[in-house]
Amino acid sequence: MLDGQMYPFLADGDFEWNADRTEITFKIKSAAKWNDGTPVTAEDVAYTWATHVKYNTPTGSANTPYIENIEAVDAQTVVIKAKLGEDGKAVNPLLVEAYLSTNYVIQKAWTEVLEERVAGDPTALLADPAEDVAYSGAYGKYFADDTKVVYIRNEEYWGQDASMWGKLPAPKYLAHVIFKDNAAGTTALQAGEVDVSQQFNSNVQDFWLEQGLPISTYLPEAPYGIGASLPTAFFNLNSPGLDQAAVRKAIAIAVDYPTIIANAMTNQSATFDQVPRSLMNPTDGEQALYDHDAVADLQWAGNDIEGAKALLDEAGVVDSDGDGWREYNGEKLSYVATCPNGWSDWQAAIEVVAAAGKEIGIEITTNYPEWSVYQTVVTKSDAPLPEEGYDIFMMWSDGAGPTQPWGRIRKLLSSEFIGMPSNWNGNWGQYSNPDADALINAIPAETDEAKLKEMYTELVNIYLTEVPSFTLMYRPQSFHTVNESVWTNFPHADDGTNPPVPPLDLTDGWSIAGLYNLTLVNP
Amino acid sequence: MKSYLKYFLNKFGWFAITFVFAFLLNFILPRLMPGDPVAAIVARFAQGMSNTSGVQAIYEQYTELFGTDKPLLEQFFIYVRNVVRGDFGFSFSQYPRTVADVIRTSIWWTIALQFPAIIVGWIIGNTLGALAAYLKGGFDKILMPVSIFVSNFPAFGMAIILMVIFGVNLKWFPTSGGYGFDLIPNFSWDFIKSVIIHYQLPFWSIVIIAIGGQAIGMRSMSIYELNADYVKYSRFMGIKDSKIVGYVFRNAMLPQVTGLALSVGTMVGGALVAEIVFSYPGLGTTLLRAVLGQDYPLISASTLIITVMVLLANFIIEILYGFIDPRIKAAQSD
Repeated sequence: MLDGQMYPFLADGDFEWNADRTEITFKIKSAAKWNDGTPVTAEDVAYTWATHVKYNTPTGSANTPYIENIEAVDAQTVVIKAKLGEDGKAVNPLLVEAYLSTNYVIQKAWTEVLEERVAGDPTALLADPAEDVAYSGAYGKYFADDTKVVYIRNEEYWGQDASMWGKLPAPKYLAHVIFKDNAAGTTALQAGEVDVSQQFNSNVQDFWLEQGLPISTYLPEAPYGIGASLPTAFFNLNSPGLDQAAVRKAIAIAVDYPTIIANAMTNQSATFDQVPRSLMNPTDGEQALYDHDAVADLQWAGNDIEGAKALLDEAGVVDSDGDGWREYNGEKLSYVATCPNGWSDWQAAIEVVAAAGKEIGIEITTNYPEWSVYQTVVTKSDAPLPEEGYDIFMMWSDGAGPTQPWGRIRKLLSSEFIGMPSNWNGNWGQYSNPDADALINAIPAETDEAKLKEMYTELVNIYLTEVPSFTLMYRPQSFHTVNESVWTNFPHADDGTNPPVPPLDLTDGWSIAGLYNLTLVNP
Repeated sequence: MKSYLKYFLNKFGWFAITFVFAFLLNFILPRLMPGDPVAAIVARFAQGMSNTSGVQAIYEQYTELFGTDKPLLEQFFIYVRNVVRGDFGFSFSQYPRTVADVIRTSIWWTIALQFPAIIVGWIIGNTLGALAAYLKGGFDKILMPVSIFVSNFPAFGMAIILMVIFGVNLKWFPTSGGYGFDLIPNFSWDFIKSVIIHYQLPFWSIVIIAIGGQAIGMRSMSIYELNADYVKYSRFMGIKDSKIVGYVFRNAMLPQVTGLALSVGTMVGGALVAEIVFSYPGLGTTLLRAVLGQDYPLISASTLIITVMVLLANFIIEILYGFIDPRIKAAQSD
């Protein structure tokens, strides 16, 4: 959820750590049923884990370094045993917790059917379309082709239990229509053919201000949604000159962020005046995790041309041959800023970054390779990035989630990803700082809130001083624009729901609660 | 008839050789693109994964599954063996769907859209072109500039204009999809009606452009033929106009028939623009995404189908030529 908390849904109450923080215990709700009528049990949870390990699925290989085993104590009670380090403590308690909210429970009986069908072949197991899968959610598959996927409500859904909502969610069918580009999706939203749009609609406010359509966003005013991820420009720290923090920071503070936010995001991002830059996303939960005053001097909102020039002059990076461009070690500072071709909002942002270079005497040109090439180059972290073409490049960072902001910070700053031939984690600029690494390693085991805040503040301090990368805008977890000509009461900020229904697609986890609030405009 | 058999075998031999080379290129060319397609699949699985060795394990698993770590020659022989069995393997970009499944679900939309559009555009275009050449005067003066204008119109421009006028403003036709957003396929009148309505804008966006090009070509050919000696001679002989037009049309048709064969052959490539603008299902966008995502198996399978279709269409035309125009057969069998 966007407040950084986990809300139990299949689980009966919150999970609990034991005193040593080596085991998590939680119970499954006794009302919880599969669509075949059988109860969801602790054994299902344990068997799901055992299957992940047995077949070395992505989930399995991702979690075995942190989770020793998942066991069913009785029909309802599950114990997760954390993998312990040499010091007898859990290797990473935070990632053990995260397993709870980021993985599906798969029915044991169905898994056994699947195993028989694929005869124990791991590749076939993962590639199985699972048309017959047992599900514990409110909807199951009804129809799918290349143009749409339709779900139908399970009339026996256990949400009808008195301990839950006592009724079924309102819509009988959920249709996910597949559009081939954003323009087609926007047109359909305007025509009322789409109720919930999760794509980027540029100038979304025009729908209600100019066209008078019954369309709205989670927040009534800009930025219209809650930022969760931080699209980021990374520096190639091996490029001549970019190994200097002064040069990196000068470029970062000179960039015209208001223009990026106005053009690339049509104001669907908070500005850096509203949410000063750190390593946190704009949600209240994350913002509370660092000491704002302690790093206020280091934060920048952009367009600081004079400041950038002063920083470069001070560092001795000056234009000594009078050609208008600064030199470092006698070499003209000339960089290429890049992002994948066709990612139009990123391209717009990269153009603004390049424009800032000219203002401060650093030549920055732009280049946009195809994604298939771009991703191969950027994620190859077992060798330095190429000398040309990838000096300043855009990638994403983590959104909201149970491991955040720790997960995001790790992926922006941790040196552990250097050396990976296929690095889909982060720190693509290959920044290395032992102090940052030590803090990142220590946070997951830390439970003292004051201490945590201190550690996070120190990481923000390092990030804003060293500038190995810099955030260009804030971006929502998913865009959330609704057309209320058919259904109404979609999640909006301060709509009175408790806990608040997040602006997600109403089908995942707690956001399913939003489906109970929907009512027809013309019943 | 013996000379015809020789002509046939000769043609067949050349097409077989062409096919072998096309097949080789279909395999090699996509694989020469820079970049690593397996990385994209790993990216999908690795989202949210935070341990480094786990990502590496997945990467190796899929590299092995798709065989991208093997030498190109070995990959080729595996590919040939599988293709002979009719197995095109998994699609990279839509894994775990198989290539056969991806193509099967989209190809019928493409054929249903493209084939009638090509035929209708060809017939209307050629009729108009021949009429313009024959009638001359006002009809020609209007048709020619309009045809040139329309045929040079970028396809996306035509599609968007049609969508804005007839879809968004007049609301006569829907703006996206192959059938109603609120329907699922079934044998009801509602569904069939919906399919027909959704068909119109993509269909006409292709036909209108095709008409212009065909009309221009046919007009030039017809004018050339109308001024040929045999026409003048026939007129002197007092042969009826309708009979002469028949001769002219048959002669002017030949290059147009070749063009038709090529269009039909390449139609499986999809109506990319119409598909994107109208979110119409089909192979065009699938192929585009395959190319951008370096989905070798899907690219190779699609281009193989296109290759076979083009060769087949050409082969049939060449054989038909032998019947339509005896001169060609005579020339070839010498």
